[in-house]
Formats: sequence, C-alpha cells, structure tokens
Amino acid sequence: MIASVLVRAYRQIAQFHENERLIAWLSAQRWVAWLTPERRKLVLFVGAIVAGLIGTFQRYDARRGTRVAPEWLVAGSAFIILLAIVYSLYLVAVYFKRLPPIIRGRPQLCFHLLFWLLLLAIWSAPENSGLWWPIVSAVALSFPYLIWRCGYMLLSGQRGTAAGTGFRDHLFYIWPVWDGTNTPPGKGHDNLSRSVAQTPEAYARVFMGGIKLLLLVALWTFVMQLIGALIYSDPKSPLTPLFRAHSFGLPRLKQFIASGAALPLPVIWISLYLELIWEALYIAAKGHVWIGVLRLYGFNVFRNTYKPLLAETVVEFWNRYYYYFKELMMEFFFLPTYARHFRSHATLRIIVAVFAAAFVGNMYYHLLQAKEPLVAADWHKLWSLLGARFVYCFVLATGIAISMLRQQRRRGKPGMAAVLRSGGFHRLRRIACVWTFFAVINFWNVLANLTLSERARLFLSLFGL
Amino acid sequence: MDAEQKKQHLLDFLQTIQRPDYPHEGIDEGSSLVESGLIDSLALLEIVMYLEQTHRIDFAERGIDPGDLRSVRSILDLIARESQT
Repeated sequence: MIASVLVRAYRQIAQFHENERLIAWLSAQRWVAWLTPERRKLVLFVGAIVAGLIGTFQRYDARRGTRVAPEWLVAGSAFIILLAIVYSLYLVAVYFKRLPPIIRGRPQLCFHLLFWLLLLAIWSAPENSGLWWPIVSAVALSFPYLIWRCGYMLLSGQRGTAAGTGFRDHLFYIWPVWDGTNTPPGKGHDNLSRSVAQTPEAYARVFMGGIKLLLLVALWTFVMQLIGALIYSDPKSPLTPLFRAHSFGLPRLKQFIASGAALPLPVIWISLYLELIWEALYIAAKGHVWIGVLRLYGFNVFRNTYKPLLAETVVEFWNRYYYYFKELMMEFFFLPTYARHFRSHATLRIIVAVFAAAFVGNMYYHLLQAKEPLVAADWHKLWSLLGARFVYCFVLATGIAISMLRQQRRRGKPGMAAVLRSGGFHRLRRIACVWTFFAVINFWNVLANLTLSERARLFLSLFGL
Repeated sequence: MDAEQKKQHLLDFLQTIQRPDYPHEGIDEGSSLVESGLIDSLALLEIVMYLEQTHRIDFAERGIDPGDLRSVRSILDLIARESQT
C-alpha cells in the first residue's frame, strides 16, 4: 500500500512535465502564444550572429602566440569570411540541382576538400607572410565547428528539402545559441523542421520537456560532485570538504594511466567501471543542456543521452550514449557506404559500413577536432592525441559490427521474444557484458602522455599480464 | 502491384522484422517506426534491402535519407516517387 503510494508520488514528480493542468496553464500564458515558431526562429537567428562572432573570437584566442595584427581585426575578418562561406553553402544547398554533376555526386567530399585546401595553403605559407595568414588560420580553426553543421545543410540540399528555405532556417543551427561541441545536437534543418512545435499547446509541452532536462542537469551534476567527493576526493568538487574523512580516495582512470602507478587489480577494475559511470553522467549532463535549450525554443528532439547504462547490447549502448554523434557517423559515413558498396553481400556490407562510421569516420572526426595541432601541422602532437584513439576506434567498430550482426541474426527467430523479455539474472549479465566492453575500451580513449607501447603494457597489466 | 498491394506487401514485410517484444497490433501509417518501438534502428537497413530488392530503388544513386524511412507513409511516398522516375 505504502509502496504503491510512493511509486505514484515518484511518477507524478518525475513526469511533472506531462501534467496536463500545468501544460494548459503554460499554454494560456501570453508570452507562449506570442513566441510563434517564426518569432522563435528570429530570436535564434539574431543569437546565431552573436554566437558566431563570440565563437570565432574565442577560437582565435587560443592562438595568441601567432598574433601579428589586432585580435579584433583578425577574428572580425575571419567571422565575415566564415559568414560568407556559410551563405555560399546555403546557396549551394538551395540551388543544389543546378550544380555541376561532379559536385552534386559528392557534395560532402567537395566541401571537405575545400577545408583541406585551406590547410594546405596555411601549411605551405611562412607564418610571417602578412595579415592573411592569421586570418586564414582563424577561419580554419573555426571550420571543424561548422563543417558537420554545414554538412547537414548540404544533405538538405541533396535531399531537395532546402529548396524554398531561407537563410534564417539554417543559420540558427550552424552557430547555435546552445553552443555544444563539433557534433550538432538536433542535427540539421530536416530533423529540426520536422520537430518544431507549431501551436502554443505543443510549445508548452516541449518547453516543459526542456525544463525537465535542465533539472536533470542539476541532478546529474550533484551526483557527479558526490562521486567526486566520496570516491575520488576531487578538489574541484564543492562537497569534498564535507566527506574528506570518508572518501575512498581512488584515482581517476586518467591519473592511473598517466602515472602508471602500481595499484591492486581490483582497484584498477573498479576505477575502470567508475570511469564509465562518470563519463555517462558527464555526457548526459552536457547533452541535456543542449537538448534542454533546444526544447525551450520549441524543438521536440530526442535526448542526446538516454539510459546508456541499461543498454543490453554494444550497438544499443552506442545509440544511447551520445546519440547525435552516432547519428552524425551514420549519416555521413555509414549510410553512404551502405548505399554504395557490397550490395550483394549482406554481411560484408554491414561490416564495411560499420568500419566506415565507427573507425574511419570516428578517427576523421577527432582529427578535425584536434584543430590546433592540425592547423599548426604539429604531427607529433596529433599522433600523441590520436594514436591511442586509433586502437579505441578499431575495437569499437569490431564490437559494434559483431553486435549488429548478432542482433540481425536473432531477429525473427522463434523464441527470441522470450529471450529479450527475460529479466533478472540474464538481463544483468547482458548489461554487465556491455559495461565491461565499454569500460575496457575506454582505457584507450583517455588522454595521457604515453607511447602506444607503454599504454599497451599498462593495458595488459589489467589482466595480470 | 497497385498502391494498396504495395502497402500490404510493406506491412507484411515490417511484421517479419518488427521487434519480437512489440505487441502485435496494427501499424499506424503516420507514426515513426523506430520511435513507436516497432523496429530498432538496425532494422532500417533491412528496409533499405527490401526496397532495393522488391521495388528496385537505387540508393547508391539517391543516397539513404532516414526521413524517407521514418514511417509507413513516408516509405510508401518514397516508393511512389521512385516508381514515377
């Protein structure tokens, strides 16, 4: 009796954003009715100009050492050039059918080629070759942030959905006010235009969903601070002074890898699993901010992270952990490969497409993300950043390919419904296997100043070797 | 095949790839196949293969747009569009 009352009370609190009375009250507010989809888009358009300007200044700021001209002149000029590039790409998307066949056939490839030509120009020119060098470098430093967002705009052009759209329909997700990483949360125009709330009632519903996500951000941040204080004695956690006497004082995985300290094996393994939980909380908190803000603007888009630690297969975890990164890999690498290659070999077709996304695409994405050593042509630094990731991406792709093929073979088999429904121990075992896979491969994803062979030796020590 | 036969053929195919734990009810034409839980995202690949083999749609040429595979209606629209070209 008490249990059912408590469960009902929990549901009411957890699902407060679906409370019909609250939604009816909110949708009756004048500001909700006033903020029509067009007005919201206008706010985001103005915000995009400001966000683009601030972002270009911030990215240039990271290269203070090479400054040969006032910052406002370099970053300001870079912003104008970037805006012109984005507008040109918008025209390309809108008039896609009029493009030469060679560009129409491979628009993404042509766009990326443009970026690499820009890099070639920077690498081949001496640093003191005038004002153009820092301006072009500032443009190149901002490019990785824009490249996938503009890629989505080109996809809309390719699919014919950009025709008839205005610049305002695109700029807001290219320099979004919700910022984020190089991965665009909410994807591009096609997905966002499908998900926009049209009526005050629909807007109120989506708005409440956004509020819920932002409250979850506060909750996950608190849980991270608690873990930081109780498990790691993290000096950055404000709760650490409260729990100093009771903290386990375990090292974070990156501390263990960086120091190579000899720790008891159980401690190392606990550290591996805790790192996975920590990373899941961190990515959930970050993603909820982006999606929460998107929902406050009326876009009813999927969460970035949705209960990844309850995933029962590797492919399910990848789908739930960082949804928009997975979607980016799917749209730009997996699906084009799947559509074009090995069409008469079903298994090989999946394996090649998975490796194109989770290995090649993943590596390429992180190569572009390492923008500063890339623009500076610092190959040593690039290798130190990406060497271990090479192993990580290869093992990840292998795991996803095996998981996908297993899932595909199971589908439609009689008796599989019972297997999938089986809870208790079997479910826990499946979840534990997924945790172990991602906790172990995460070892290769943590940044540390180690050579590959040093890291490999440390990795083998996890298994007592 | 006329439009009605194409639809029935598609619905029959979807039942062969639907999640085994999904309740066996009628499939709503407009609702998202993945979001409604009818199929998992991996099953989209099987829809691609079905469209290639049954309706001779060449995705190598046009690319795969997940939006086209979102619901029964959008898949039928895609089939109709491609059969006109």
